[in-house]
Amino acid sequence: MAAAMRRLPLVLLVVVSAAASSDGVKEPEGFWSGPMNSTVPATIAGGKVIQAKELARLLKQGKPLVIDVSNESKRPPGMAPDAPWMPLPQEVIPGSVWLPGAGMADIAPETDVLFRKLLSQTTGDDHEHAVVIYCHERCWLSWNAAKRAIGYGYRQVHWFPEGVEGWRAAGNTTAIAKPWTPEAR
Amino acid sequence: MGMMRRYFLIAACGLGGIVCTHVASADDEADARSERWAELQRAIFPGRTISEGAGVIQLDAPPRALDAALVPFTITLPSDKQIKSVVLVIDNNPGPLAGRFTFGAAADPRSLQVRMRVNSYTNVHAVAEDSAGKLYAVQKFVKASGGCSAPAGSNDEESTRNLGQMKLKLVSEFAPGEPVQAQLMIRHPNFNGMQMDQLTRLYTPPHFIRTIDITYDDQPVLRIESDISLSTDPVIAFGFKPSTQGKLRVEVTDSKEQSFVREFAMPAAAVSSTL
Repeated sequence: MAAAMRRLPLVLLVVVSAAASSDGVKEPEGFWSGPMNSTVPATIAGGKVIQAKELARLLKQGKPLVIDVSNESKRPPGMAPDAPWMPLPQEVIPGSVWLPGAGMADIAPETDVLFRKLLSQTTGDDHEHAVVIYCHERCWLSWNAAKRAIGYGYRQVHWFPEGVEGWRAAGNTTAIAKPWTPEAR
Repeated sequence: MGMMRRYFLIAACGLGGIVCTHVASADDEADARSERWAELQRAIFPGRTISEGAGVIQLDAPPRALDAALVPFTITLPSDKQIKSVVLVIDNNPGPLAGRFTFGAAADPRSLQVRMRVNSYTNVHAVAEDSAGKLYAVQKFVKASGGCSAPAGSNDEESTRNLGQMKLKLVSEFAPGEPVQAQLMIRHPNFNGMQMDQLTRLYTPPHFIRTIDITYDDQPVLRIESDISLSTDPVIAFGFKPSTQGKLRVEVTDSKEQSFVREFAMPAAAVSSTL
């Protein structure tokens, strides 16, 4: 009883913040090409929206393919040749694969090939294999990438809109990743 | 977490994009920050020793910045040591070498102010090099984030139209032979390629200042080498030592190989070229 009482405010908070964060934003028909760091919808057609707790459970229970689709910061042309370009290492949910570029509205053809390859290699072409896609909070890249994976025919696509920030805020650890390449697998 | 271990983890993570757990405790964060600085020292000052800079150089910055795209930094050189240049490093910016400031014969290097973009909570280092080639560093922790992707303040069309216009203000009395403080304002969007146009929703291509050369009657005052960390419409406060009435000349070059030159006749209380 006491435990249940203690848990109640937390549950309420989650519900309220989830409602506030979608802010009536509707799912676009195609991929989202507006500002990538803005309020995202509360749903994704053909997929499932999950929260940090469910993701932790999913990671414990099975072997979902977890993909971080955050973009990579690229060295702008025109910098002095000796100026260092050293973005901070990419912090991801442990067990994730980082595939930058997969969440853009207009995906580069080579990224499309890479994304399909990652999915088919890791799942063994099993369209029922659980897939989790995320990037950051208020980040459309993961919504786009999840929609894309659904379009490829994957039927267990989980979208984690809270992103790595939400994962960390729930008290979980992170790991460091480099962009995924098929040769390494 | 020791430095070696951190590197090992990064190396192990390199393959396949997976996987090594990293618990972010406060200690770890402090470790990670000092490892980052060690890594940056190797990249920016390879093979050099850097001494503690207290007493040689002072760096002032707001602990929590109001606007991450316009974080003011003040560099003060209080001692009589001959300092020939200062490097400002914003550790966690993707391009951490934010600026290199080289003082010339007509400089008054005691006080220098610039505004920079800060991308995430970060240590900032100011490294002074004296005339003997010795390096001295001081450090400040700044809480600011998102400065690199924050949209430019004024609209893009306006900042492009006024590109390269400058304004110079003397902040202290002009007297030949005496040091004088000046404030230089340059119209330049300094796009870093990470900002989105609020109307077109497209990323604005990078276009940023590479060098600012300031001379007084052909005597070098200050050379600034910068790139994407410098704020939109940069404002730079600096000192110089005019020997006589003369001309302060400013030449700016940017990443599109454009160059802008303005000359300001001295003395003048407030001089501007159309702004």
